[in-house]
Amino acid sequence: MTDGTDIRIRGLTKRYGDLLAVDSLSFDVHPGRITGFLGPNGAGKTTTLRMLLGLVRPTAGEGLIGGVRYEQLREPLRVVGAALEATSFHPGRSGRNHLRVLAATHGIPDSRVDELLHLVGIPAAADQRAGGYSMGMRQRLGLAAALLGDPDVLVLDEPSNGLDPEGIRWLRRFLRHLADRGKTILVSSHLLSEVEQTVDDVVIIANGHLVRQGTMDELHGEPWALVRTSEAARLAETLSGAGLRVERDGDGDGGLRVQTSDLVRVGDLALGAGVPVHELRYLRTDLERLYFQLTEAPENVNRNLDVPTTPEAAR
Amino acid sequence: MTRLIRSELLKYRSTRMSWGMALAMFLTGAAFAGLIGALMLYGGFNIGEGAQIDVKDVVPELTLARLIYTAGIQMGYLLSLVIGVLCIGQEFRHKTAAATFLAEPRRPRVVLAKVAALVVIAVVNGVLHLLGGVLGGGILLALNDLPVFPDPPQLLRTLALALLVLAVWSLIGIGFGVLIPNQIAALFIAVAVVWIVEPLLGFGLTFLDGGDAFARFFPSQATTATLDVFTGLDGELAQAMGATGDQLVWWAAALVLLAYAAVMTAVGVLLTRRRDIA
Repeated sequence: MTDGTDIRIRGLTKRYGDLLAVDSLSFDVHPGRITGFLGPNGAGKTTTLRMLLGLVRPTAGEGLIGGVRYEQLREPLRVVGAALEATSFHPGRSGRNHLRVLAATHGIPDSRVDELLHLVGIPAAADQRAGGYSMGMRQRLGLAAALLGDPDVLVLDEPSNGLDPEGIRWLRRFLRHLADRGKTILVSSHLLSEVEQTVDDVVIIANGHLVRQGTMDELHGEPWALVRTSEAARLAETLSGAGLRVERDGDGDGGLRVQTSDLVRVGDLALGAGVPVHELRYLRTDLERLYFQLTEAPENVNRNLDVPTTPEAAR
Repeated sequence: MTRLIRSELLKYRSTRMSWGMALAMFLTGAAFAGLIGALMLYGGFNIGEGAQIDVKDVVPELTLARLIYTAGIQMGYLLSLVIGVLCIGQEFRHKTAAATFLAEPRRPRVVLAKVAALVVIAVVNGVLHLLGGVLGGGILLALNDLPVFPDPPQLLRTLALALLVLAVWSLIGIGFGVLIPNQIAALFIAVAVVWIVEPLLGFGLTFLDGGDAFARFFPSQATTATLDVFTGLDGELAQAMGATGDQLVWWAAALVLLAYAAVMTAVGVLLTRRRDIA
């Protein structure tokens, strides 16, 4: 693709005693795109990220960043920025000093530290002890730490946890801006809806193995439109005649599902046939439902819980 | 490597513990020198039939200064040990180990950087501890019209050896910190081992044949031997002052201590290499 740095996960496996936390997982993360790494809690997301970053030893397989393992990077912070957990700060150290400690390992000047504190929006709290930070401030400090070395690759574990809506919007724009500059961004989340508007690609895992991988468009599938009329049969005939795939909508009061993203064309065809149109809109894929289907299929039931969870049970 | 060491030093300086520890080091140095000094200068030996001789009349000035200025060394090396334990323990307790190893994935280098930083930290704290000792003890010596700094080269040698002892103990702490990832447990166990188990074991060994030959290789006895405070003193008098019978020669004892530090550092390097960081 572009000349950025990609991530390649190859047969990554981690076994803790009897528990197979991650099961020969393979996927790619491309430069210039934001990839959502999704799965319910306990699916193995964090373990996978920690193996990629050299913190946890894989039982088998490897994760490669620009073709090499993390341990082989000589100045890793300049290649990969990672924000793993929003609580990993010494409570007695100020946010600014936390960054300075990390910056010192790479000879990064204090001016860069202050620049990042401004960028993530916590300059006022920089000299306060991190123990008093709110969850949102910790997330921002973690992000600042990840960005210290201006890396090509960003790995963020649940970065929107604890952020307020304004913070989430800010993060979304910020990640988009970085992706547009050719950075490779991997963002984990246990909720698809949380990253739905942010990511370009998705990798969905459940119980340590891959259940779905592809672009967001592929996940959405073919676009469908709903058109409602009092003369469903005639309209269906007209649309089919124009080469569109048409299905009766389930509720039986004149609704048709048309496989197209072109609402104008559907409306014009109906007008041409003299059929009244009562409703015409895009049908959104119910991604949340799809996500639950994928991650909570009987073989993917969360092994950490005794009782199988269903979307209904979760309500 | 220089960058890593600088990072570790900043890590230590940037929490309140560094100030608390510096203060504790200074105060224990001053307090113990004052306490032991007072006991020695204002107390005496019973020589039977109600007669007493003053300590300062029989003990040479140099030995007196050595004993008083290093009086707090046991507290000092305990605190040094605690610094070493915390240097590793805090990384696990506050989960900063992940960030540390992300910045330098070659973990042995991280441990070695901590070792180097700890030597600097222990020496700085050690200087404060000895300053406290010289201040607290020096006032007493001066009040008793005794020389405050008799035979400077010899006295400085003792103080330098004390610094060596303090540095070595902080490295022993690293080993405890790595062996026991739970910081609180590591602290308690390290202190218990050093202050209770090890001395008791050493004492118990004296009842065994040849046991005390073995016990003098224990860290606490090697520490006392390294300081070499009774050198040049009459054997019987030294015994009366608390010296144990057959100590190692000071340099052999120092080598024994350094061996402990080397082993604990090696343990630290080997164990952190393979450990999964949660």
